[in-house]
Amino acid sequence: MERIEHFEYFIGPQHPGVTGNMSYHLWARGDEIVKIVSSVGYLHRGFEKLMEYRFWIQNVPMVPRICVPEPDVNEILYAMGVERLAGLEVPERAQYIRVLVLELARLSAYLFYFAGVAGALGLYTIPQWAIGDRDYILDLFEELTGGRVYHIFITPGGVRRDLPPGFKEKVRKVLKHLKDRLSDYDRLYFDNALFIKRTKGVAVMTKEYALEMGVTGPNLRATGFRYDVRRGDPYLVYPKLEFDIPVTGGGDNYSRVMQRRLEFEESIRIIEQVLDMMPEGPVITKLPNPFRWKIEKNDVYVRVESSKGEFGYYVVSDGSEKPRRIHVRGPSYTHGIQVAQEMAVGLRIADVPVFLFSMDVCPPDIER
Amino acid sequence: MVILEFFLVLIGITALGLLYGGIARKWSARIQRRYGPPFYQNFLDVFKLLGKKNTKSHGVMFALGPVIAFTGIILSLFFLPLGNSRPLLSFEGDIFVLFYLLVIAPLGMALGAGEAANPNATIGIARGLTLMLGYELIFFLSAIAVMVKFNTASLWKIVEIQGTFPKWNLFPFFLSAFAGLIALQGMMGEKPFDLIVAPHEIASGPMVEYNGKYLGLLQLYHAIAIVVETGLFVNVFLGGGSILTFILKTFFVFMLAVTIDNIMPRFRIGQAVKFYWKYPLIISLLGILVVFIWR
Repeated sequence: MERIEHFEYFIGPQHPGVTGNMSYHLWARGDEIVKIVSSVGYLHRGFEKLMEYRFWIQNVPMVPRICVPEPDVNEILYAMGVERLAGLEVPERAQYIRVLVLELARLSAYLFYFAGVAGALGLYTIPQWAIGDRDYILDLFEELTGGRVYHIFITPGGVRRDLPPGFKEKVRKVLKHLKDRLSDYDRLYFDNALFIKRTKGVAVMTKEYALEMGVTGPNLRATGFRYDVRRGDPYLVYPKLEFDIPVTGGGDNYSRVMQRRLEFEESIRIIEQVLDMMPEGPVITKLPNPFRWKIEKNDVYVRVESSKGEFGYYVVSDGSEKPRRIHVRGPSYTHGIQVAQEMAVGLRIADVPVFLFSMDVCPPDIER
Repeated sequence: MVILEFFLVLIGITALGLLYGGIARKWSARIQRRYGPPFYQNFLDVFKLLGKKNTKSHGVMFALGPVIAFTGIILSLFFLPLGNSRPLLSFEGDIFVLFYLLVIAPLGMALGAGEAANPNATIGIARGLTLMLGYELIFFLSAIAVMVKFNTASLWKIVEIQGTFPKWNLFPFFLSAFAGLIALQGMMGEKPFDLIVAPHEIASGPMVEYNGKYLGLLQLYHAIAIVVETGLFVNVFLGGGSILTFILKTFFVFMLAVTIDNIMPRFRIGQAVKFYWKYPLIISLLGILVVFIWR
């Protein structure tokens, strides 16, 4: 009889163990993973190429599709890239509204993240709570932009429209609700002894390894390295706002979750300041006729801090009314492919989904 | 006459189990801040599944697996006292038979799901049989404390000697009862011991290949198992009484398990067995020690 050395199994693309349309092919010996290969290709839509065939302004509704859980970073990156190339000035109020949208999106992405990790651990109450609380943020987005998930709100030159009347109070109310709920989450989730037992010391990433592989964002900060694009390469009005860059250290699943937990509070702090400091004024500059809007030959790399890590766009213009090339640099490519393939080896079967969720991989941004 | 009585018990217990499951879904939904399905949802699910055709079978054993599981669990109904009503079969040592019958169901599942050769099912089975080493031992040790004290190995006699409310075994044997409750959590596959199904890890484990009538049969098995397993605990530790009090007690024990299920993540398999062989084992052994001193 043939001796079976290991067995193969898959998680994804239709499996609760992985978010969205990608899969991992795993080889396990007993309860231990000996090899893992990521398999992408279920979601390739060719956005980067499509953008080359459209006028500058026509790309605005397309870019948010690049990352589903947190689409707004793509809008801001595209807008910032075009603004820098075309030399557009953004009104200050628009910049504050942009920060408001970005931070609300970060909150909703983190709630999604908490839901994902808790689901992988089997704590099914948290996903229900978190998705429910995220809906309050989506309600705000709906009122502000008309869309719940894809907002298509931040355009080159500013934002599409001003805050509706009474919107600030509604945001404050939601923030207060989230702050109140956070203590419930702490008791059930972040301070849960079993959660700590399951996640502490599992899938440890060292600082050196993270830097070598190009890990960014909360995953990098969870290893103890203090780096955040909002401080390192400031954009919008972030330099005027007071907020800390929390660092947990440890680099394991637990630190990665707690890192987001701490940053969640910082984002609430940022939004509160934005609401207080927002000046009056216009929210968008006058744009030229989109059909004849030519941007002179140049290229620019812009980057922002997303909930998943450093997001960057390399925008090239050849002087025509359409972009020559737009390259998207998403954090999930690094986290979901290279790092996952190396770090998941040696984990237990039960810890693989927790690890993958704790890395916060967003498959649409791997494939564009 | 016995057969008629047995069918009445079978139908009643099945309905009760499905009802418990439905109420548990509602209760979980309320803990999770959602509305939840109606309490009779499990009846609809089972009727729908039993009315479906099976599109694919993976062999004879695959079809026989759920049948073996179902047979094991309905046989155990013969030995289960429902409150003060005497079980259809009872003799000295029937508690061992009941334990044995409760093991048949997981084995049937293992044989059936193993035939499907889905790696998720195989991992689930391996986990289930490993976990059994944990909870079976603990539950048995906690029942042994009672057996030693009452000098009988008949479940019916334990219920009879025990009597009603203030004389529940829960109070003198609280150590054993506590260990038994922890074992029951694993026996029912509720969190933190639900690693047999673990959707995020192994996509529902042994159930992954089942559909249609087989899945319906497995859901029926699960419904009866809820009542049998909580009923076993109730009979050993929570005394006798009328059938109504039996229903209330099993319902309470099950709801306790469901509540814990909703506030706990799940163990890794190694952690689960290690946990069982640490604290609950010590507690249940202490329970036996107390009995020997107390005699």
